[in-house]
Amino acid sequence: MGLSWEGMFGEAVDRIGGQPISARMARKAPIRHLDPTLLLVTLILTAYGAVVVLSVTIHRLPPETNPNLYLIRQVLFAAAGMGILVAMSFVDYRHFRALAPFVYIATVVGLVAVLTPLGEVAGGARRWISFGAFQAQPSELAKVAVIVVLAAYLSERRGEVRAIDVLFCCVTVAIPAVLIFLEPDLGTMMVFVALTAGLLLVGGAKIRHFLALGGVGIVAIAMVLQLGVLQDYQVQRITAFLDPEPDPQSVGYNLVQAEIAIASGGLRGKGMELEPSTERRDPTWGLPAGHVPDAPVERTQTALDFVPEQHTDFIFTAVGEQLGFVGSATLLGLFAFLIWRAVRIAALSKDMFGTLLATGVASLWAFQLFVNIGMTMGIMPITGIPLPFVSYGGSSLITNYIAVGLLLNVHMRRFL
Amino acid sequence: MMKKERGGATQGIDRTTLRLAIFALCIMVAFVALFSRLWYLQVLAAPDYRRLAKENRVRFVKSEPLRGRIVDRNGVVLVENRTATAVTIDRQIVDTPRETRIVLRRLARVLGEKRWLLRQRLKSELVSPYKPVPVAENVPVKARDHILENQEDFFGAVDIDKIPSRRYPKGHSAPHILGYVGEISEQMLKEPRFSDARPSYEPGDIVGRAGLEYEYDNFIRGVPALSKMIVNSTGEVLSEIEVREESAGNDLVLYLDYGIQELAEEALKAGVFANRGRYPTPAGGVVVMDPNTGGILGMASFPDYDPRILADGLTQKEYNKLGAKTKGNPDDDAFLFRPIQAQRAPASTFKIVTAGAAMAADVASPSTVLDCPGAKPYPPPGRTDVGSAEIFNNWTDFDFGLMGFPESLEVSCDTFYYELGWRLEDSSGASVFGEPNRGEEHFQRYARLTGMGHDTGIDLPNELSGRLPDWDWCREIWRATKDDKIPTCGTKDGPVWYPGETINMSIGQGALTTTPLQMAVATSAIANGGAVMQPRVAMQVGRPDEDDVEHPVRTFEPHEVARLPLDETELSVIRQGMVDVVAGSQGTARTAFSGFPVSTFPIAGKTGTSELGDVGPTANLQDAWFVSYAPADDPQYVVVVYLEKSGHGGESAAPIAREIYEGLFGIDSSLDVRLGQDASG
Repeated sequence: MGLSWEGMFGEAVDRIGGQPISARMARKAPIRHLDPTLLLVTLILTAYGAVVVLSVTIHRLPPETNPNLYLIRQVLFAAAGMGILVAMSFVDYRHFRALAPFVYIATVVGLVAVLTPLGEVAGGARRWISFGAFQAQPSELAKVAVIVVLAAYLSERRGEVRAIDVLFCCVTVAIPAVLIFLEPDLGTMMVFVALTAGLLLVGGAKIRHFLALGGVGIVAIAMVLQLGVLQDYQVQRITAFLDPEPDPQSVGYNLVQAEIAIASGGLRGKGMELEPSTERRDPTWGLPAGHVPDAPVERTQTALDFVPEQHTDFIFTAVGEQLGFVGSATLLGLFAFLIWRAVRIAALSKDMFGTLLATGVASLWAFQLFVNIGMTMGIMPITGIPLPFVSYGGSSLITNYIAVGLLLNVHMRRFL
Repeated sequence: MMKKERGGATQGIDRTTLRLAIFALCIMVAFVALFSRLWYLQVLAAPDYRRLAKENRVRFVKSEPLRGRIVDRNGVVLVENRTATAVTIDRQIVDTPRETRIVLRRLARVLGEKRWLLRQRLKSELVSPYKPVPVAENVPVKARDHILENQEDFFGAVDIDKIPSRRYPKGHSAPHILGYVGEISEQMLKEPRFSDARPSYEPGDIVGRAGLEYEYDNFIRGVPALSKMIVNSTGEVLSEIEVREESAGNDLVLYLDYGIQELAEEALKAGVFANRGRYPTPAGGVVVMDPNTGGILGMASFPDYDPRILADGLTQKEYNKLGAKTKGNPDDDAFLFRPIQAQRAPASTFKIVTAGAAMAADVASPSTVLDCPGAKPYPPPGRTDVGSAEIFNNWTDFDFGLMGFPESLEVSCDTFYYELGWRLEDSSGASVFGEPNRGEEHFQRYARLTGMGHDTGIDLPNELSGRLPDWDWCREIWRATKDDKIPTCGTKDGPVWYPGETINMSIGQGALTTTPLQMAVATSAIANGGAVMQPRVAMQVGRPDEDDVEHPVRTFEPHEVARLPLDETELSVIRQGMVDVVAGSQGTARTAFSGFPVSTFPIAGKTGTSELGDVGPTANLQDAWFVSYAPADDPQYVVVVYLEKSGHGGESAAPIAREIYEGLFGIDSSLDVRLGQDASG
């Protein structure tokens, strides 16, 4: 029934399984049980992110390009995500269970394709597949695929998880995770580990399973470090936050700059500039006359390009510097609300599959924002993980909209 | 909250609830961690970090690019670059007063320079604090070796650097035109040409400070290399990245011909010294111009200076010395570029303008015949409406009788031109004395058209525009002098235009002043058929170090500013008169050109002798002028000569022009034959 228009608008359905529907059944029509606050907070977060992306990119684009280029693209991505979200909500999420293996295989194929010459190289890593003007990042979509697959598998266990199940889950995750590691994208791989942990926890894994996994993990990390599987820069990035150095060419330097950016924002921030400056400045000549020493420059960290990747991975530094504690805390509050809705939906779900889907989404977001924001504030290692809804990037944004779609779906059909 | 479901699932779901709670707790811990960290950074530690952000700076340091060369129209290099050896001190290393004192003392001993001088240069705020400061240049080899061998004596802060500097392969040539370079001044940084330029100018930049170096700085400066330095709070450079590569400046190709420039300079100098036996002749100027394009082929000014002494910088004292050898006497100002900055009465040379104005205003025609008595009263008898008559004298008592335009120029008849001046004034509607209606101003309008009273637009800085007396000028000068005993241009009651002003102007006297260049432009217009050209020194901007004149970066096309409202017949009577000035039996420049092959190389010219008054130090002295073009039948050159406080135009100035024409046409003769007496008005 979920596959038809009638499934959305219960009033139009006059019989289920040959039986006429009752008024009570009609009230169960999915659209009536939409979670509007979840949708609202999603849109607010997207808008918040889009404005910050604009504030970061507007002064850095070459003069001949549209100053709103990034804003426009981000809004288009959000619109595409919203379209997919709406389309998904027509389908009962329980149908996804059957689709799970195919989605999973498709994702793995995509991840393999990225590693072949089909993949686009950027910044030393193969992470993208190009479709004309757009590039897709299969590793982003893989996050949702893995959530669906694990949720489907674990929900079958109905809370009775055996060691063999844990092993199965680990293998299932390991395949895409290793492919992503090869791109290399250590950060996204860590997201998969976190997802699995969250799903196993709620899915019913025993304490001994976690102890065993922890042990294997420690051995694996030791081996990885010992055998030199990781590139030097990856090790540096991971360890840099423990002892940041002011050497400008080191990773630790980025970290220090990010921290300075956030902290110098203070309580209220230094303000945003969303109009292209009358004299379009290129980053080198943009400085006031003189060799700068004491020229007053507001928003130095953002304006002077101190922070790398500021519209994507380090976007929280722009929030911190420009909007201060007020803006940053508001953003954290919005995320807290979002994740609370996800956990609440996990609890409200009619079945285990729904619970695990919501859990997966909650742990996906929670981990990403903790690592992303934590890294800019110097309490987590530097990894290339985007901030959900806020960082610039189509694949990430669309993936998060799909995740919202899953949550809404579970919530809408909690009585069916 | 959780909804209990039916049957055996209850226990499982309860367990799931517990697990969800643990899951939620983990997330809450993460949030608490983030919030606390955020609170610490942005609220508790914010002031410290704000300070860090302020101190934390990227410094940009520029290196001076190689400036473009300046070459003449034939590719002769007039200005190029050389590297000077300089002793530099790194202020980042010597940063305590004690170390500074020691370094300066030792350096002063090695270099034999004054210690305070070195200290002053070291303190220069025009050099970036991250660049070593040059404190001495062109040091002897011995001192250089000593510094290099005893680095530890100077704490490793003193070094020998090569710094780019300008070189003049042709030496003492065209100093005013070429200009010189120096560090940009605070004042220059505010000028739109520098403040609006991209890449922007910054303190310490070496820029053109005069002449073409100044005018075309943006083209020839090149793009400086830019290094981005990351410095910590103590100013220590942590790393350096080159953001932009240096690119050398473009070459500037001139209309100027080095050979003609030399010729003009030498002829002027020789002429000045030849005159000094009889007259003070402190200064003079020469313009050689192509009448068809407005291109300046040569421009000489006397006295001048050697550009090489400016290449390495000049102290204020040295500058003052060059500026005026005798204190307060502008005659000796070597920096005054006479061709564009001397504003003097053009005297009779202006008659070529008056003649044109009269014909343009239809108060005379090419066939006009007027008498030339020794004196004439204006306003003419019978005209009582414009005040009482005044007698205007010709330069001689002799009555020449009736004559047309050609003869009037040949003998330089003043009374002929007084009449034209009066007619121009009368036709402009200024006949009511005391209540002037200056709406028409036929004469002034024509004079303005041919380049008087405003700058010519030559591509050199600080051009002066002379003074064209008109009603606007009259009111202005009256306002400025109305509290004087006798206000200029009016009475105590208000400004008054006296027709005599226009009559004086008709022979290039009175309040009228022009620069030699303005006269060259006016002469060009007569020569080339009526086109008032914008004079230009630079022809094009070429690629650096390529003699590819075919593919310039930018070409400055000849620009016609205005066209004289004269037809060929009208122009031809003026031209005929100018030919007769040189070749005619009564010509005022006849003596100066005696023996010159005028049949092969016909010269058209006009002399001018500007009276400087009967009393005072300039009594019985004149400014001598000669404006000319040649060949008269196919004008290729306009030559204007002007000498200050000298003899008559034909006597003092015309011989210099002859010298130049001889050089231009390759005629060999000696100078002394033509230093005879000649009189002109």
